[in-house]
Amino acid sequence: MNYPVWQLDGAGGGLLIALMAIFHVYVAHFAVGGGLFLVMTEMKGIRENNQAIIDFVRRHTKFFLLLTMVAGGMTGVGIWFTISLLNPAATSKLIHLFVFAWGIEWVFFTAEILSLFIYYYTFGRMDNRNHVIIGWIYFGCAWLSLFVINGIIDFMLTPGAWLQNNNFWSALFNPTFWPALFFRSFLAFMLAGLYGFLTAVNLKDVVLRVRMVRYCALWLIAPFLLFLGSAWWYRAALPPELQVLIFERMPEIKPYLDAFIILGPMLMLGGLIMAIRMPQSITRPIAAVMLVLGLLYMGSFEFIREAGRRPYIIRDHMYSTSILKKDMELIQQNGFLQEAKWVSSREVTRDNMMTAGRELFNNLCLPCHSVGGPLNDIRKVTGNYTPRGLEAKIGGIHNFSPYMPPFAGSGLERKALAYYIAYGLNNRRDRMDDVAIREIGDEEIPAFNGESDKYVLLAWSDMGMKSYTDASGSWMILPPGGTINAQLIERGETPDVIVDGVTISYAVDPEFSDPAQQVDFWQNAAALYDREIAPNTGLSGNGLTGVMKPGEEWFTVSLLPVVPYTAERRYMPYPAFTVTAVSSAGEVLAATRVVAPVATEMGCQICHGGHWAVDNRAGLSVETAENILAAHDRISGTNLQGLADNNMPVLCNCCHADSSQDAPGNKEQLNLSAAIHGFHANFLGERGAMYCVMCHPADSGGATRSFRGIHRGLGLNCTYCHGEIEDHAISLLKAEHEQGKERAAVLLGNIRPANFESVDAVVPRRPWVNQPDCLDCHEGFQAPEVDTTFNRWTAGEEDLYRNRTDESGRLRCAACHGSPHAVYPAMNPYSPYRDVLQPMQYQGQFYPIGSNMNCKVCHTIDMEYEMHHPNMLREFRNQ
Amino acid sequence: MDPSALIPTPDTLPVSWGWFELLLIITLFLHIILMNVMLGTGIIALVNHFRGGPDSEPLTREIAGKLPFAIAFTVNFGVAPLLFVQVLYGHFFYTSSVLMANFWLFVIAFLVSGYYMAYIYDYKYDALQGARVPVLGYTVFALVAIAFFMTNNFTLAQVPETWTRYFDSPTGFLLNLGDPILFPRLLHMITAAIAVGGMSIALYYELKRRRGDEEAARWVRHGCSWFGYATIANFGFGFWFYGMLPEQVRNSSTLAGGMIGVLLLAGVILAALSIIYSLRGKILPAMYTVLPTILIMILIRDLVRAAYLRPYFSLSDLEVVSQHSPMVVFLIIFLGGLLLNYWMFKLAWQVIGNREVRS
Repeated sequence: MNYPVWQLDGAGGGLLIALMAIFHVYVAHFAVGGGLFLVMTEMKGIRENNQAIIDFVRRHTKFFLLLTMVAGGMTGVGIWFTISLLNPAATSKLIHLFVFAWGIEWVFFTAEILSLFIYYYTFGRMDNRNHVIIGWIYFGCAWLSLFVINGIIDFMLTPGAWLQNNNFWSALFNPTFWPALFFRSFLAFMLAGLYGFLTAVNLKDVVLRVRMVRYCALWLIAPFLLFLGSAWWYRAALPPELQVLIFERMPEIKPYLDAFIILGPMLMLGGLIMAIRMPQSITRPIAAVMLVLGLLYMGSFEFIREAGRRPYIIRDHMYSTSILKKDMELIQQNGFLQEAKWVSSREVTRDNMMTAGRELFNNLCLPCHSVGGPLNDIRKVTGNYTPRGLEAKIGGIHNFSPYMPPFAGSGLERKALAYYIAYGLNNRRDRMDDVAIREIGDEEIPAFNGESDKYVLLAWSDMGMKSYTDASGSWMILPPGGTINAQLIERGETPDVIVDGVTISYAVDPEFSDPAQQVDFWQNAAALYDREIAPNTGLSGNGLTGVMKPGEEWFTVSLLPVVPYTAERRYMPYPAFTVTAVSSAGEVLAATRVVAPVATEMGCQICHGGHWAVDNRAGLSVETAENILAAHDRISGTNLQGLADNNMPVLCNCCHADSSQDAPGNKEQLNLSAAIHGFHANFLGERGAMYCVMCHPADSGGATRSFRGIHRGLGLNCTYCHGEIEDHAISLLKAEHEQGKERAAVLLGNIRPANFESVDAVVPRRPWVNQPDCLDCHEGFQAPEVDTTFNRWTAGEEDLYRNRTDESGRLRCAACHGSPHAVYPAMNPYSPYRDVLQPMQYQGQFYPIGSNMNCKVCHTIDMEYEMHHPNMLREFRNQ
Repeated sequence: MDPSALIPTPDTLPVSWGWFELLLIITLFLHIILMNVMLGTGIIALVNHFRGGPDSEPLTREIAGKLPFAIAFTVNFGVAPLLFVQVLYGHFFYTSSVLMANFWLFVIAFLVSGYYMAYIYDYKYDALQGARVPVLGYTVFALVAIAFFMTNNFTLAQVPETWTRYFDSPTGFLLNLGDPILFPRLLHMITAAIAVGGMSIALYYELKRRRGDEEAARWVRHGCSWFGYATIANFGFGFWFYGMLPEQVRNSSTLAGGMIGVLLLAGVILAALSIIYSLRGKILPAMYTVLPTILIMILIRDLVRAAYLRPYFSLSDLEVVSQHSPMVVFLIIFLGGLLLNYWMFKLAWQVIGNREVRS
């Protein structure tokens, strides 16, 4: 932000520095180890009085000089040039902090050049003693160059005490200085043998060639154990959190770690093979291949070291984006564009989203990502995301991808960046407008004659907002399973709730009667639940037609296998059932219709890629589902994708308890609700209800719009009752933490409460048990004085709205008021009547049963006593 | 957009800026001399291939043998002033580098390829024959290209008012071609290099002549001619360069402008003397007068940069967070390095010319 950014695009993502640095480092280590090789081999030749060996050294010196002095030396300068272009702020810091270290290194560099020239050009012209001294001077200076540079490089990884004391010596002799010095020194000696092969295999004298090749093999192999020891020391010297980061939490490093582990023994094996007497036609290509393997070996190590530093360029001091750690909070507060020097947009507006987004991208993403290039291509890692998903991802990515820095900008800047990446780089064409709802034509409202009918049949779904996840071949979180309840009331001045001697049957509308044709649940049910489940049958054995089970005061049929797809495979999330009460004599006493909402509009694909599976508006695609498994595997170290690939789809509640499905899960894992909300709150915070509806089917422009009760009409949204996702997640995680689950503490550590001073202020709650209570706002059943409730929970399941009864204890609240999220008067997007079938049937109006002084529906006379709950005998308030 | 708002905030210094200024001047002086020898002798050799025919082979062969050394030490001695200039002016220099990033990185490509070609020119001198011109020609071209990009970068660094072009072209393809001093400055530097290259040839052969090489006198004259006429030509480029400097820089009523004027006068006098000496074949007096001239020109260069940046920045603005011990260690090692290099050089000098002791 202090400097302009070189807009590299395809060549970005560190490609230039990787190419320059890996080559240079490979040659530079040879320049050190090779120096020792030269002088020691020369001494061997002198000691043995063997001119052939000395001639070999002379030839090797020429190769050495041409390689190290020209390609090595110049690419060393090239690294300097390159880093100053890619990260001038960090370069400036390293130059200013280490100016005298660089100066010292330059002195050694000068002596290196002079001594190497002298060494080569005085071969055979200078007496042995002095010539060997010059050789030792060369090696000494080369190693001392390494000594200094090693300090600077490792400072970037482990700045150690410098962070507190700003002392040059603390910076140079940082915590990994010594192990890294030994590590690099032994590596340099090994490389000397590797490079030595190149000259040795070309010797004409067979005896000498075999001898020198074996000598080079010894150089390669002998330091290996010491090298391994120093590698272990190097690792041990890393701060513990860095060890965890590099070796456990960065799967992106794994290929390089694997390469480093595999290539070492391969080189050793190659060294042993080279020691075998073989013709030149074999040794020459082996030598060349081994040199390439050595380059890969070096490259994999450098990648590990560089990646381990992320998201910093100077660990705990400066991020890869050149932003100082100490400035991050200020930038997040004021916005990046306000604080940066080299931007033309100072704020994000509706008109400059693309321009501002590009400037944010240049500054905050380009330092590590290319656009369409071979390294860290931004398109590959963001192509799956819609702008909304990307915006969410950017906000929380640092919590789960520790190599990513926190987003350095405001909420609006995050939006602009996501907009630019999605539309400017990925050319996405996401649907921008609302889903066109296909309304139901003529809604059939059952007949009721208030004068002659003797019974009122009330029916309702347990849940007004219910989801089912398809793609069950991959995983299953919410199986099909709607529950319908019914109460039969015998009308009269003193009505009675009838259960005995009555049968209540139910039947789904014909177009929903064969869900097995629409979803693959039954094909995977056996694998998921370890038992056969007949097609079109729910988990409790119920089909889509049948008889409801009588209880003490009401009838229930649970886990109905209803899905939101019509026979024509159109998305329709509000299937209806006809419910009929029949006397033991077979007389139809009453009939009604009830909606059984079920949605598959979970917007996983917003972030996880893929697409809507059905009708471009709903349904979880296999592609999305697999991406989710991959993410789970990556973050939690599982192998769920492997299981799914082997026809073993994953049932989420096997591990994550879900009391709504009576699934005990694994006691050590977070329950499902805490895990999902706790994880996603890291990404979806600070955006209110807009992001609740990314997963829950209540988007006001979506295909379901299942928040449709009176509270929606009054302008409330999810957060009024359930809180912001941060607070919602904290409440769930705290309850889990109290159960001793450590993962809860990890997730809690990343989430900042939205409406509370601290996490301590949020009251823990269990999902599906501790919920907001209607009476929190409607205190004493009166008009509410507040419109929000959070942190006051129902004590138990029996206190939930869907389970509660009126003050008589006989009528369920939902029987008269409708399902949660669809309480009367509800407005269903598909039909104005679908959610108010019984109010319309019995009262000819949308309001709760009996409201607006409609006591006659059941009582047949007007009532003066508020027996069901106080404040009910009045005109309906919100007409 | 206010260009001063674009200037990055500099990092702090461990010791006062004066130390770095001193180190910058000293090391740049050494670098410029080596660079002049490298580029100047390269150009002279190339011209001799065109004009001199077989007669010039003794000279071009000598240059071929020395060019890789010259490149190696020029780069090496370029590292130090590049380090110190980054310490003092890094926030300007890095910015201009990014603005012309593609070209700036090409410096490395030209350097590596030009360097290798110089080795080919040396090791394969006899075998190359007619290919000497393209091989050396490429090296000279690469070195001149580097000079062009260097001049672009260092001039671009001192004109922040032009940096706003970045917002229309952030891909690192900007140069400073609109700056009227760019080409006179480049030509002034290249011509100076030719002159000093000529002088280095004259000096080299003067030493040979004193050792009894009868052929050497010819090349002493040859080198002196190159030096003398190139320096005369450089008066023209120099005054053109001076004339193109903005008024704020040349204004003699300011301290910097006055100092530039005085130093320029001294430089002109010394350069004129060096021409006279060289054309009379007196190479050592010519050298004694031209070395201070180079130092003066480096001082002027520094003052000009300070004058350019005056509206935005002064070296005294740099904040110091003192820590002297690293500098002390550096100076000790620097002195140790000088002694070591001197010892090695002396040792090498003694054996040069000796017959091989190992058969």
